[in-house]
Amino acid sequence: MKEHIVSSFDEELQKITARISEMGGLAEEELSMALEAVRLRDGALARKVIESDDRLDMMDARLEHDAIQMLALRQPVASDLREIVAALKVSSTLERIGDLAKNIAKRTQVLNEGQPLRVTGSILRMGKLTQTLFAEVLDAYTSRNTSMAVSVWKRDVEVDEMYNSIFRELTTYMMEDPRVISLCSQLLFVAKNLERIGDHATFISEMTYYVVEGEQLGDDRPKGDPLAAFIED
Amino acid sequence: MNKTITAEAQIASNIVSAKISARKVNVFYGDTHAIKDVSIEILDRSVTAFIGPSGCGKSTFLRCLNRMNDTIDICRVEGTIELDGHDIYDASVDPVQLRARVGMVFQKPNPFPKSIYDNIAYGPKIHGLAQSKADLDGIVESALRRAALWEEVKDRLAAPGTGLSGGQQQRLCIARAIATAPEVLLMDEPCSALDPIATAQVEELIDELRKSYSVVIVTHSMQQAARVSQKTAFFHLGLMLEYDDTSKIFTNPDHEKTQAYITGRFG
Repeated sequence: MKEHIVSSFDEELQKITARISEMGGLAEEELSMALEAVRLRDGALARKVIESDDRLDMMDARLEHDAIQMLALRQPVASDLREIVAALKVSSTLERIGDLAKNIAKRTQVLNEGQPLRVTGSILRMGKLTQTLFAEVLDAYTSRNTSMAVSVWKRDVEVDEMYNSIFRELTTYMMEDPRVISLCSQLLFVAKNLERIGDHATFISEMTYYVVEGEQLGDDRPKGDPLAAFIED
Repeated sequence: MNKTITAEAQIASNIVSAKISARKVNVFYGDTHAIKDVSIEILDRSVTAFIGPSGCGKSTFLRCLNRMNDTIDICRVEGTIELDGHDIYDASVDPVQLRARVGMVFQKPNPFPKSIYDNIAYGPKIHGLAQSKADLDGIVESALRRAALWEEVKDRLAAPGTGLSGGQQQRLCIARAIATAPEVLLMDEPCSALDPIATAQVEELIDELRKSYSVVIVTHSMQQAARVSQKTAFFHLGLMLEYDDTSKIFTNPDHEKTQAYITGRFG
């Protein structure tokens, strides 16, 4: 799009876009380290995730401050307004994704105290898929690519389904051997966190669509039935 | 079921209640083609804002709506403009009578060099709207009240209108315009010479006037258009490029030029 007559307005908008990219990169890295920490049973790496999350929180606070300043001082309209509102929402979504990654890292520390569990493999596969969707949606947001965003939005159902099957798997283990309940419930939370990250990724899809089209994507997103795990048997 | 139909019919009748309907209006100043094929339906009991860069034709078009352009010799207006379904450029229409129905407020407050009272009483007097002095007093008071000026001037109605502050003068001019009980009020940048407080008072007044009139406002302040209007028309180089709900124009306009203009990317 054409540049603003007032160039400092463009500079501020660019700064916000750059910050979102940076925060996205940081959240991606946190998630990838947290999953590595689960895979390698690496306590030191888990601690690194927990420490680096503070930075994401700070960046979110700073972006919020800057965005509010722009709303007050520039009184943006149309695409500028959508851009800033979306940045505000995406920023806090990234901050939450960081929190969920941090939570996975915390649970790793408990998991490392017990024996390795077989189910960890399926969780890591779910983690891979979540990472892929998250990376794609960040690309889609940065490049304002709505078709890519919609594709992520639709594929989150795969994460939901993996979550449901892991839920079933873990419940079975716990029933077979009550000694693993403590460890398995930690894993269950890891899976739940990944499922939440998938949902947050679809929200970024929706924001991408809103920035470009000025309309909401709609609420008929395909979702995995959250009760499927209970209804089975 | 019946109730639904009635409600729908009511909505439909509200939608079609265009106060002013302009079709394929072209305006020429000598050889200059100032307005090109503008068609618009201006709704009753709502505020319509005309926005666009300087020289886009928004003021020219506004002035067509009460035939103010008649006073310019080289100006020629083509197409039809109807007020309640009657062509205002028809030979049988008296422009003076028309302007009593379609009032106007200008950029700079221009009170007559007369008392506050006479400023308001002048229109009703020449249009024979008052039967007695008491009648006229009533009209003056109610116009000043509606313009939110009464409390400030009721004790000095004989003082000259030109002695008021800028914001008060503009509200006096609005009171003068509504004293003849017009149906439409045209405002050409009514707040550009006012400070923010006086502007807010005029905007509050516009919102109040909307309950009984159709108000059309030309403004250079995008925020003002966004604040006061329900419909916004964007003019550019004599064309009306976009006309839609104000909320739509300021969040997701259809036309690229509208987008560029309201976000400050023009040129």
